[in-house]
Amino acid sequence: MSDNKKISRRDLLKATGAVGGAVLAGALASCSKEEEVAPTEAPEVKITETPAVVGKPFDGKTVRVHAISGANYDELYKLIPEWEEETGATVEFVFKGNGFETDKRLIQDFAAGTVDYDVCWDHSSFFSQYVKADGLEPLDAYFSQEDLADFIPRLLEATTRDGKLWVLPRHFDISCNHFRTDLVTKAPETWDEFKQLALDITDEGAGLYGTQFAGKEEALSGRFYEVHTAEGGNLFNDKWEPTFNGAAGVKAATMFADLYSAGAMPPGMTNFLWEDVAQNWVNGIIGMYTEWFGWYGYFQDPEASQVAGKFDIARQPKGDGGIHSGWAGHHGFSITKAAKEKEAAASLIKHLTSVKGNELEAELGILISRQSVWDKIIAEAEGSDDPLAKKRLELALMQAQEDFKTPPLIAEWIPTSNILYPILQQIILGDVDPQAGLDDAASLVYDMMKEAGYY
Amino acid sequence: MTARSSPLKRIKEKRLIGSLGRQERMLAIALLLPSILIILLVVGFPMLYSLYLSFTNYTLVNTKDVDIVGLANYIELFNKPAFWQAFGRTVLFISLAVNLEFLIGLGIAQLMARAVKGQGLLRTIMMMPMMFAPILVGFQFKWFFNDQVGLMNNLLYSISGARQIIPWLVDKPLGFISILVAEIWMSTPFMVVILEAGILSLPIEPFEAAEVDGATSWQKFRYLTMPMLMPFVYTAMAIRSLDIGRAYDLVSIMTAGGPGNRTELIWTYVNRLAFSGHDYSLGSSMSYVTVIFSGLFTFYFFRNVIKSRWEGRE
Repeated sequence: MSDNKKISRRDLLKATGAVGGAVLAGALASCSKEEEVAPTEAPEVKITETPAVVGKPFDGKTVRVHAISGANYDELYKLIPEWEEETGATVEFVFKGNGFETDKRLIQDFAAGTVDYDVCWDHSSFFSQYVKADGLEPLDAYFSQEDLADFIPRLLEATTRDGKLWVLPRHFDISCNHFRTDLVTKAPETWDEFKQLALDITDEGAGLYGTQFAGKEEALSGRFYEVHTAEGGNLFNDKWEPTFNGAAGVKAATMFADLYSAGAMPPGMTNFLWEDVAQNWVNGIIGMYTEWFGWYGYFQDPEASQVAGKFDIARQPKGDGGIHSGWAGHHGFSITKAAKEKEAAASLIKHLTSVKGNELEAELGILISRQSVWDKIIAEAEGSDDPLAKKRLELALMQAQEDFKTPPLIAEWIPTSNILYPILQQIILGDVDPQAGLDDAASLVYDMMKEAGYY
Repeated sequence: MTARSSPLKRIKEKRLIGSLGRQERMLAIALLLPSILIILLVVGFPMLYSLYLSFTNYTLVNTKDVDIVGLANYIELFNKPAFWQAFGRTVLFISLAVNLEFLIGLGIAQLMARAVKGQGLLRTIMMMPMMFAPILVGFQFKWFFNDQVGLMNNLLYSISGARQIIPWLVDKPLGFISILVAEIWMSTPFMVVILEAGILSLPIEPFEAAEVDGATSWQKFRYLTMPMLMPFVYTAMAIRSLDIGRAYDLVSIMTAGGPGNRTELIWTYVNRLAFSGHDYSLGSSMSYVTVIFSGLFTFYFFRNVIKSRWEGRE
């Protein structure tokens, strides 16, 4: 350190004295102020007129956002500047990442108590973890019944827990059955028909597989969940004991295993995730399968897809339970419990999930959350050149209204899935018998739920 | 150890320690203190905290009602067949990968040490697989072994003319072998570099003497090269074993430990349980068990390194 930067003892004493003096003066001042405002009699209350609002409602405030990003997600954020202009607030993104990265960061922040943002991205499959971690603010105080009236009720129900609404839905996705019109003349009504049809249209010589499913992680657990539900099963009973090893579960798992062993699904199926199954479909090697509506634009792109214009869509089959499959999820926004600007955060969420926001996302082909926007886009689809345009929208809306089912609204869904999917893979590959495998999985899930304090 | 130290070395050691005055000793400690503090902060504290977590029921979604559960996580772990399967598979993977890398690496190193021209170029080409991030190698080999559009099946189709749909990453034991191939491709160059350096550093006199005595090439390799090369072999094997012992990225990309746990190694299992499943307490106990085993393994290897070093000198 050079000499001119050295602080002498005298300088230090001076500085300490100055700071001490300032603190003392401040303390005395505040004491005298307290004395002033501690009257012996009640002060005279002057009623003055409320000053006219000259500024904007959130002038000078900053709303910090932890958001999902990528592909279509960012389009919606183009609405933010006009909200900033209207309200006087500023939006600052503290994090942007894909869904899984965002989820991981949120979980860690809630656990570590390092949440320094007001709005966070949320998902119907994940929000229960954040609620359990005490990281979210219920939205009921910020949104009236009138505000919520236009949202599809099933979407709101999907993120209502303990009687409170935690996520305001932005858009959703659900799967429908996609089938090649050159191979399938009538879509299967039941999973039994689906299985038989998949076996019938498989043509090993031509490299054509009857069907496929994404075969790992939550993608596989979710598909099992929806077939199992259709067959009349529940993953858990009302005491949160696993029940997926019952007859419905065994039937669902057996269908996967039978289709695989018969060669009606690609041999690498247990390594597939969403992009892999979509790729197989556009390569024309799959006859029929259930897929999210979100891929539709890609499938109808003749540049990328060999099946463009050669397929149709239908509601997912039902099972012995008389229920149509409908594993679904929605993206949305939540307010964090640690938010400093809760009112402004609610206003921003309201803006992003407004009719305007929904219209913007609907233009991108995304399935949006407001009924009024659905009515509008279905009416507009009448004149579309795409023969499936209107049917697709009507089908998606009907499924959202009638078939939309989320996995159990508990924080332990992903841990349950992590236990379940490797065993489902073993069943599919024939390493273990369906009943024995599901019994094993149920026992492990029971232990995990017990540790989590459910019983 | 002391008995084997030379008198000169003993004098130097004594002088170094004994001659330090109190002030110098304090200075030495003060100079070391920042490093010690940093190590304690970035290594010691996380390890102790992780050890503490392993005795609790901490999960990321349950950070408030955390209780000490004693050895419950360890007991649960030892009762999990999936853990032992992953553990056994990891040991098998390490054993096969390290030994195959050693054999291939030794062969290549011998050839390269004899190359008269272009050694530098050969070494650069040889090092290339090491320059790729494991995650990229994983993606590359995942594509090679893809059953629909992969290189292997297309190659087989070109050769045989028959459509081959071999699910390389699914079938037993092909999935395991596929990952092993990727690992060996990526890491053998490391063995080559270390072993070639060892071969080039060997003294020439014993080989000349053996030549005079009429020893065959095999005898020279068996009785001269290998014993003198052993410190290098053990060092390379110890480093590679530890490296492979923490294999995660390659496996995660190629198979994620699946399907149906068929390629599950210890760290993909830890990741699924601890990070994806948010169960940090059980994950910590599993990590500790693994680290202790790795420590014993390292101790065994380094003991052999030291032993072979002295044997080489004698």
